[in-house]
Amino acid sequence: MAERRRWGVPLLLLAPGLALLIAMFIAPLMAFMEYSFYRFRRGRLTADYNLDTYRRFLTDEYYHVIILDTLKVATLVTLIALAIGYPLAYAMWKINRPGLQRWLGLLIFSPILVSVVVRSYGWTVLLSDQGPVNWALRGLGLTDEPVTLVFNLTGVLIALAHVFLPFVVFPIFSSMTRLDPSLREAASDLGAGWWMTFRRVTLPLTLPGVVAGAQICFVLSLGAFVTPAMLGGGRVLVLPLQVYSATSEINWPVAAVGGLVLLIAALLAVLGFNRLLRYSEVR
Amino acid sequence: MSEPDVELAGVTKAFGSFVAVRDVSFSVPKGSFFSLLGPSGCGKSTTLRMIAGLEHPDSGSLRIAGTNMAGVAPYRRPTNMVFQRWALFPHMTVAENVAFGLEAERTPRAEISTRVAEALALVGLATMAGRKPGQLSGGQMQRVALARALVKRPQVLLLDEPLGALDLKLRLQMQLELKRIQREVGTTFVYVTHDQAEALTMSEAIAVMNDGRLEQVGSPQEIYDRPTTRFVAGFIGNANIFAADFVPDGEGATMVTLDGLSFRARTDTPLSGRGHVALRYERLRLATGTTLARAVVRDAIFTGSAVHYVLGVENSAVELTAETPYDGTVPLHQRGETVGLSWDEAAPRLFADG
Repeated sequence: MAERRRWGVPLLLLAPGLALLIAMFIAPLMAFMEYSFYRFRRGRLTADYNLDTYRRFLTDEYYHVIILDTLKVATLVTLIALAIGYPLAYAMWKINRPGLQRWLGLLIFSPILVSVVVRSYGWTVLLSDQGPVNWALRGLGLTDEPVTLVFNLTGVLIALAHVFLPFVVFPIFSSMTRLDPSLREAASDLGAGWWMTFRRVTLPLTLPGVVAGAQICFVLSLGAFVTPAMLGGGRVLVLPLQVYSATSEINWPVAAVGGLVLLIAALLAVLGFNRLLRYSEVR
Repeated sequence: MSEPDVELAGVTKAFGSFVAVRDVSFSVPKGSFFSLLGPSGCGKSTTLRMIAGLEHPDSGSLRIAGTNMAGVAPYRRPTNMVFQRWALFPHMTVAENVAFGLEAERTPRAEISTRVAEALALVGLATMAGRKPGQLSGGQMQRVALARALVKRPQVLLLDEPLGALDLKLRLQMQLELKRIQREVGTTFVYVTHDQAEALTMSEAIAVMNDGRLEQVGSPQEIYDRPTTRFVAGFIGNANIFAADFVPDGEGATMVTLDGLSFRARTDTPLSGRGHVALRYERLRLATGTTLARAVVRDAIFTGSAVHYVLGVENSAVELTAETPYDGTVPLHQRGETVGLSWDEAAPRLFADG
């Protein structure tokens, strides 16, 4: 009796979410995956089950490049977001004035409040050859020729790092606020200056925040579609774009396998980051 | 006499409108075990943190080993600190924690490993070098914190209630251990505690603080026997404290009068006017012969090695507590029993209001 009562309430609470997940996500996913075994020839789908599409993804150079580019974009975006996000989180932590921190937090969060389409158009304007960024670079004498910042990889990286920045900053900031202030005092008391205190105490103890932020940023970057589509200028062929164009040609098998590869990449990334998280946490 | 290791003169520190430390001056002799004692919030920790350089005095001067410390960062001071909750680096092993301070001053690697081993042996943790703080007990973490500070061979070791988080048995054991280590290394210890028994047991000198002010500095016995303020009399040991009237008796002593009770008290100088009188529990004697007063036993509290009697003085509203040692040979006085009460003329401590 007691056993059943202990399970009853959690199951009841789980039921709506579970039902929604099965009906709207897992069932369609299974159906979609079935298409991955179909044959697509001359614009027509036939239901003779085979592994041709999988074989192509595994052996065709074309798909290898796309998969590697997708991983490269996600890695670079994550690194850039970390390089900007860590100092930002550190500054926010050091400010130590709750009012100012709230405003700064809102500012860092702001990219997410703007629609992705609007944001991407904004970047095309800002980063164009005649745009304010190039104007500033020329004004500072850093360049004579306009630098191509958009409709290529650079534009995609800038825009993705911008929008995923909050996902990196907040976990790092929260790991900093959890840091026992007496640890830094102890380091200083033991003769460590700022740099040694940072390198030996602050950074290692905020690594869990770094790993958590990197994980979210990397997985979101893998699945990013609108930004590479609008700012890549057709030169950044990431997997989500490939899946999109395949569906528009009703090439279901390629779309399905592409989706599956993305899912596997995301799962592997999550597993890898969780592993790192376990190492970075103090036992 | 050699120069004091730590010297505070008129040190004041405020946080916003709250004055944590007011005009505090004292000096700590070289090689001594010096305690800062007081209730929580009295400013003792702030004082210690100012010596460490973690807080900066608003006014007054602070000298360590003769050098003025104004504007000297914590990492440049010849002091090291054992923090309240020890503040061990949780991601480093015991040996790495202890080595940290030596690496900061770029000690050669070979010397680091010998000194770390020495320090861990001193605190009895030689076999724990490879463990992480999370795998240690409270007492062991306390020892690591001590080793980590001592390995730097500081001029002055600062300890901020290091035993506060330990249970009673372990605390008593660590008190003796700390004393032993202090004798062995000969370093000056400045020790913050709110536990008067701890301060009395361990210190050569005690500075009692209350409400940001320094109340009294002296040896444990001085502080206990001759408290100079009413606060010290009440904070250290157990004392009956009453408002009373003082009149010089013309023979160099003072007559003390309070509600239906009048007695002579020997004082350095005769006092007059209103004030307070403090009588320690254990200085009161339950006597049969000539007595100063008669009283009815209202309650008898048995504590094992002693008995506390709550006594109502006859023809008076005064209630006193007396402590008598218990050795099992004399039967306890019962509630309702009338007893005679006396004390030595030197026992009462008088504090004039003013």
